[in-house]
Amino acid sequence: MQIDIDHVAKLAKLQLNPDERAMLAEQLPAILDYIGQLQEVDTSGVDAKAYLTDAANVFRADEPRQNEALREALVAMFPKKMGDALEVPGVFAD
Amino acid sequence: MMTIKAIRDGIVAGQTTAEEVVRACLKNIHENDGKVHAFLETFDDEAIEAARVIDERRKNGEELPRLAGVPIALKDNILVPGHTASAGSKMLKDYVAPYAATVVERLRAAGAIIIGRTNMDEFAMGSSTETSAWGKTMNPWDASRVPGGSSGGSCAAVAAGFVPVALGSDTGGSIRQPAALCGVVGLKPTYGRVSRYGIVALASSLDQVGPFARTVEDAALVLEVIEGKDEHDATTVELKETTVPELMAPKFDGVRVGVPKEFFIDGMDADVRKVVEDAIAVMRERGAEIIDISIPLLKVALPAYYIIMPAEASSNLARFDGMRYGTRAGGSLEESYLAARGEGFGREVKRRILLGSFILSAGYYDAYYKKAIAVRAALKAQVDAAFKEVDVIVGPTSPVVAWKLDEKFDDPIAMYLADVFTVATNILGLPGISVPCGFAHDLPVGLHIQASNFDDNKVLEVAAAYQAVTDWHSRTPSEK
Repeated sequence: MQIDIDHVAKLAKLQLNPDERAMLAEQLPAILDYIGQLQEVDTSGVDAKAYLTDAANVFRADEPRQNEALREALVAMFPKKMGDALEVPGVFAD
Repeated sequence: MMTIKAIRDGIVAGQTTAEEVVRACLKNIHENDGKVHAFLETFDDEAIEAARVIDERRKNGEELPRLAGVPIALKDNILVPGHTASAGSKMLKDYVAPYAATVVERLRAAGAIIIGRTNMDEFAMGSSTETSAWGKTMNPWDASRVPGGSSGGSCAAVAAGFVPVALGSDTGGSIRQPAALCGVVGLKPTYGRVSRYGIVALASSLDQVGPFARTVEDAALVLEVIEGKDEHDATTVELKETTVPELMAPKFDGVRVGVPKEFFIDGMDADVRKVVEDAIAVMRERGAEIIDISIPLLKVALPAYYIIMPAEASSNLARFDGMRYGTRAGGSLEESYLAARGEGFGREVKRRILLGSFILSAGYYDAYYKKAIAVRAALKAQVDAAFKEVDVIVGPTSPVVAWKLDEKFDDPIAMYLADVFTVATNILGLPGISVPCGFAHDLPVGLHIQASNFDDNKVLEVAAAYQAVTDWHSRTPSEK
């Protein structure tokens, strides 16, 4: 199974240096072969969602909860801010 | 042996104080952890302060809570407010936990003293603790060998006698496998039993937090405190049966122990195999009914895991983008992402993110992810059928004993195979424990015991029954 490492790295927003890229080019095919074993397993007639039937959504009342201390701690950790807002590079900038 | 009961009883009886216990604990760590590197940081001032509070409460005649004065170490992916939680990664080197993990709140309410944070594989990805950005941890039994991973630091802290109990996290074996390699007890509770709120997520359908201890009783005492529904974690459930260590009735009579032939594979160490077979023979001698079973899809549990886990991990780690977490590089948005993630993540993390992104990408999703989910459901059906015939399923925790540092580091598949026996437990959400059951090549071997969902007490009882008739768990590296 072929993996287009550069394409996937772009999807994952991962920068790879040449050493890493070479290492991954060597290792990923073997890993993909290994996990590709699953192709041999007959899962016709298996309801994949059967695993989840016990799960139910959990809701709470739609009431705002304020935790000022937590909010301040989070804002304090912003690497760049404008007031209380996280400053980021322009999303639509060129 | 320093156990929870011994410590708490000693404090209650006035034979010692919590402050003395904590000071002795910290002294031991400062003097001896250089050889092990279990700890990334100790919280000395806070720990002594918390100990003094316990001592004050005792002076005032208050009844002390369940874990009063008991030192506990926490894996670096568990949020302790005001302290760094780096998940073993450069990406989070400056991240200071702004809130407490639910397990931390519960431990504190029970009077436990958080001693510090322990080393781990980066973002919990690993089986040897070698991928930590902060250096390796050494196996207390042999410093040239790995302690296992990813919770190697917490495990080594207990194995080396630095603390009586510690918390780790287990996504594919990261509590149980190091426990086996270091000769201690390691428990992964049923998925949904312990809150994941405040734990840095690896794979959200697999992660569970659990205790390391020298004895099954201590593991049960910690589980009792940390388990239970949490409104902050929607995957936790209201437990029909909570853990009550005093009510555990360890025995082998009437227990049906299933031994899957798929757990005794070619390529596993012959001496390890013999030790585990001997442990099963002990159970048989003591009254357990040993039933040979076969669960064919166990053979593909590891490949299924290495599809499900990286897929979920790639999604969970998308948040580490240099905007809030990690170092903000300059340039455009795209350049910022690439630089932050390129710089902040180590090789194993990149490997798994790439694998996970590939698995979920257009054109491959059906062949890999959807297939793995179907295999998971099919495996569940086989295991559910098995649990109609048996109460617990046992086998080796690890196919090998602790290997040399660096030996498997450059061979990802060799490393992944270390978890071949533990991953099925995670993908099905079952409770599983590793207990020391002997030595091979002079290194610890672990026996793995698992049961049906939310049958954690059964796992603990069988494990406790085994410890009642053996003494492997009382061996320590200093005595060898």
